[in-house]
Amino acid sequence: MRRILWAVLIAAGTIAQLPAQLRITGLDGLASKAKESVDITLDPAMLQMAGAFLAGGGKDGSDVKSLIAGLKAITVKSYKFTETSQYRMEDLEPIRAQLRTPGWSKVLSSQSKGEISEIYMRIDQGKVAGFAIIAAEPKELTVVAIEGAINLQDLSKLGGLGVPAIPVPGQSKDQPKDSGKKGKQQ
Amino acid sequence: MNLEDELRAALRREDPSSGFAQRVVARTKVTPRSNRPIFRMAWAAAIAAMVIVGLAGVYQYRQVQAERAGRDAVIALRIAADKLNIARDKVSRREN
Repeated sequence: MRRILWAVLIAAGTIAQLPAQLRITGLDGLASKAKESVDITLDPAMLQMAGAFLAGGGKDGSDVKSLIAGLKAITVKSYKFTETSQYRMEDLEPIRAQLRTPGWSKVLSSQSKGEISEIYMRIDQGKVAGFAIIAAEPKELTVVAIEGAINLQDLSKLGGLGVPAIPVPGQSKDQPKDSGKKGKQQ
Repeated sequence: MNLEDELRAALRREDPSSGFAQRVVARTKVTPRSNRPIFRMAWAAAIAAMVIVGLAGVYQYRQVQAERAGRDAVIALRIAADKLNIARDKVSRREN
């Protein structure tokens, strides 16, 4: 009985130490104000289905498939507005509060003229275990939360720009730089 | 014998033979129609068809879900990639 109690206590302690999954909250009212909005939430089951579907999707499909192979969840909320001041920076506070908890670290931050770009990472045993982006512009707001092991070099290649890599704690610095491959845009 | 007499003879009341009631009752207890092989086969075919249609529906639903999940994954990762690259680019330009 005592062993079971100890096992439960250890398990509870372990769970308590794990950083909770990032929840993108506080942005629900923005979709009605936006001219375009994207709200995507993919849980492990959906990611598995997506992987199976993308397996037969050529090179682009296999690129995405290999990226999502180690992921547990993807959440993207993106809003484009016709006018400025459709959201407040305070709307992002619930998300930022979660990103200030132990486990998460801000690896990149850029602020200029009402534009904010922040990248956060959660590193576990030298590997990226969580990844979040907050990109706020006067007429656009995007928040991305990715749970699981993701290779940022490969992720970067899916985008349209080729720029220097972010140094990831625990990873060697001699990784190849982005080739600037252009992906098809939706 | 005229027609009227013939009809009267043909339609005259007759008592049933002995055991008639028992025989009628016995016939009513014959195996129900639904248990005949043809009905059983029809039922089996209908159930099989329903199962096939159900499985096809589930397969189709899962295919549609998988397609949607795949499309969403591509869009989500491309948005993430674009924002990642833009953020890196801003920092890179600021440093240069």
